Amino acid sequence: MTKKGFAPRELIGENRPTLWMAPLLAVVTLFYLYPAFEVLRFSVTNSSLLQANYEYTLRTYAQVLGDPVLYKVIRTTAIFVLASVVLQLALGLLIAVAANRARRRRLPGIVFMRSVILSAWVMPGVVIGIVWAIVLNEASYGLINLVLSAVGIGGVAWLSNPNTALLSIIIANVWRGTAFSMILQYAGLQSIPDELYEAAEVDGANALQTFWHITIPQLRPILMINIILITISTLNTFDMILPLTGGGPGQATEVLSLRTYNVIFGQFSLAGGAVLAVIMLAISLVITLFYRRLLRSEGVV
Amino acid sequence: MRRWVVRSAGLAVVVAVVGILVGCGGGSEVLTLDRIGQEDAPKTMTVQLNNSYTHQAATPSWADGFEKSFTKFAEDHPDWKLELKIIPDDATTQEQARLLEAARVGRAPDCANVDSFVVPQFIDQGALKPIDEHFSEEEKQDLFPFVREVVTGEDGKMYAAWWATDLRLLYRRTDLVPEPPRTWDELIAAAKAAEEKDSEVDGYLFNGGRWEGTTFDNLAHFWSQGGELVDEEGKPIFGEEPHRTYMLNVFEFLKESVDSGASPQRVATIQNYDELDAAAQAGTVAMFQGGDFEYPALKETLPPEEFKKWEISFIPTMNPDDPQKTGTGGWTMGAFSDDPEKVEMCMEFTKDVYIGEGNQVTGQLPTSESLFSELDKFQDPIYDTFREGLKEGEARPGVPVYPEISNQLQIAIGTVLTEEATPEEALDKAYKNSLSAYEEQQR
Repeated sequence: MTKKGFAPRELIGENRPTLWMAPLLAVVTLFYLYPAFEVLRFSVTNSSLLQANYEYTLRTYAQVLGDPVLYKVIRTTAIFVLASVVLQLALGLLIAVAANRARRRRLPGIVFMRSVILSAWVMPGVVIGIVWAIVLNEASYGLINLVLSAVGIGGVAWLSNPNTALLSIIIANVWRGTAFSMILQYAGLQSIPDELYEAAEVDGANALQTFWHITIPQLRPILMINIILITISTLNTFDMILPLTGGGPGQATEVLSLRTYNVIFGQFSLAGGAVLAVIMLAISLVITLFYRRLLRSEGVV
Repeated sequence: MRRWVVRSAGLAVVVAVVGILVGCGGGSEVLTLDRIGQEDAPKTMTVQLNNSYTHQAATPSWADGFEKSFTKFAEDHPDWKLELKIIPDDATTQEQARLLEAARVGRAPDCANVDSFVVPQFIDQGALKPIDEHFSEEEKQDLFPFVREVVTGEDGKMYAAWWATDLRLLYRRTDLVPEPPRTWDELIAAAKAAEEKDSEVDGYLFNGGRWEGTTFDNLAHFWSQGGELVDEEGKPIFGEEPHRTYMLNVFEFLKESVDSGASPQRVATIQNYDELDAAAQAGTVAMFQGGDFEYPALKETLPPEEFKKWEISFIPTMNPDDPQKTGTGGWTMGAFSDDPEKVEMCMEFTKDVYIGEGNQVTGQLPTSESLFSELDKFQDPIYDTFREGLKEGEARPGVPVYPEISNQLQIAIGTVLTEEATPEEALDKAYKNSLSAYEEQQR
């Protein structure tokens, strides 16, 4: 039996990625796993910003889960996320298909159009919230109501009516997120071989048939990834809602992430905020697992 | 030869420009983005300031004013350098929570801006150091009563230097509302009359959206009836008689203002004072409840003949004889260091830069009678009204449960204005949730 000495080269060999993975592992551990562990740990305490001492208890879970407000907030969040995801996906696809067609026909201005759409996505959420607060302002100088008045339609209570306020934050979020969906799907569309479309054309397929039987099946993996990413991103949205409605009127637009902020900085309850964060994490995980299963069944992963 | 001349001349220009820049920089070496004083000064103090109260303020005149004050302070105190942590103005609420957390574990800066309404919490937590020895008895007695009450601990010691305050008032366009309304009924009647005179205007606007201003501004209506939010222990009592009735009166009044058409339903969306200013600038409001700090903005932005139409009066009350209370807020400076020398320097910095000088720079109201008389900035007759109003000033209760009470009252007012709940339902829910938050904090 020969004794093998330490050979650093083996660690960084093609099949042994330990060393070159180490920085990534360190970053993930330090900035993702450790904070996530701390959130989990705080959630099983009664920790508060006002007191140094805390004890381990499950009482905070009982309190948060026993609060009827939580279920109203979850309902609002579900409507917000579902509507945002469906609309972002549909509009993103629509624009991507249009842009792709324009590219194939070599129409001018396509790069400019892509840049304009993308500008909505790169804007910080707070700025988008402020911009939409101006656009949807119900005063006579609010942009949309001004236009509606000009064409003889009375002003709409965009933000002061609890139902339309929820619709308003969905509109603002769709405006913000559609660009991301469009870019992903545009990239996906470009990877579809032109031969498939040419064959469809030869077979006499119309535009709708081509879209349904070629574009959608070819795009399915990208669509699935897109759904996962925008679901999680919408679930975490609160920076845009804060300046737009603050969660009001009443609690009509208070979503889970905003509720978490209010619990920590309003009630000073670190534990309560951590429990809500864990609930959000659990929801994200369940959704991701669900989508993953779907992807598997599609043979994508 | 010619090329050589051109190159030499170019080099000379570059050297001259660099020289000028370095020369200019040399003069302001004592002030950088995050430091006041020479870098190699032997003594160091860490200071946390709101962006508005620094040389990086968004308002150019404030930035210039603080740049001069900071530079002078650095020149007068060559042994000290102040390392600055500057907080964005839109993050001050959560930063106060973080500051308290930092103080609790001994990592707070030596000297910091503390929001006046959280000062009692900081005192209760033992975060602030007493500063009595740095102020004369005369200076302390000169402070407005509500100021003294907030900055004084149970041991009778003074814990924070409250240097800037504000108050809430009723703004009205005199061409539409010639006489100031004294009661809520008069206010609603005047608002409706104004709307009849000019169909483009909303009669009365106020903060009714989901933010602190909604609670704070409307608390004046509650305080003027004798209402109290919490008892001496800091426990919420606004759901118990007689305070429950007082709060219900406020909710009924706000609801009536919308139901009667005196106010539009969109008041439920107003969540900053800028929107009130915007309505005044657009000529679409007859009256609004705002802060004194909106007065300079209106003066600056409205054409002189339009500005002349605006007058200010105290906030109307339920009954004609009720005191016209007003909410007061503002910022203090507090010392967190265990080192007496740093506590002394913190207060010296506060006196040199903020008390008086800072009021002059920002136009934010001083907290003592004498400064009102002494400072040039406050000689306009309007400031006599502000000074008079401050005598009925009320600060928000500085108890840990207040932010949650405020949050619950914002929700309650929102649901009442949008008719999602009756005033009774909204109040009972707000009280129940506030009590529950209090009990959790008491565990």
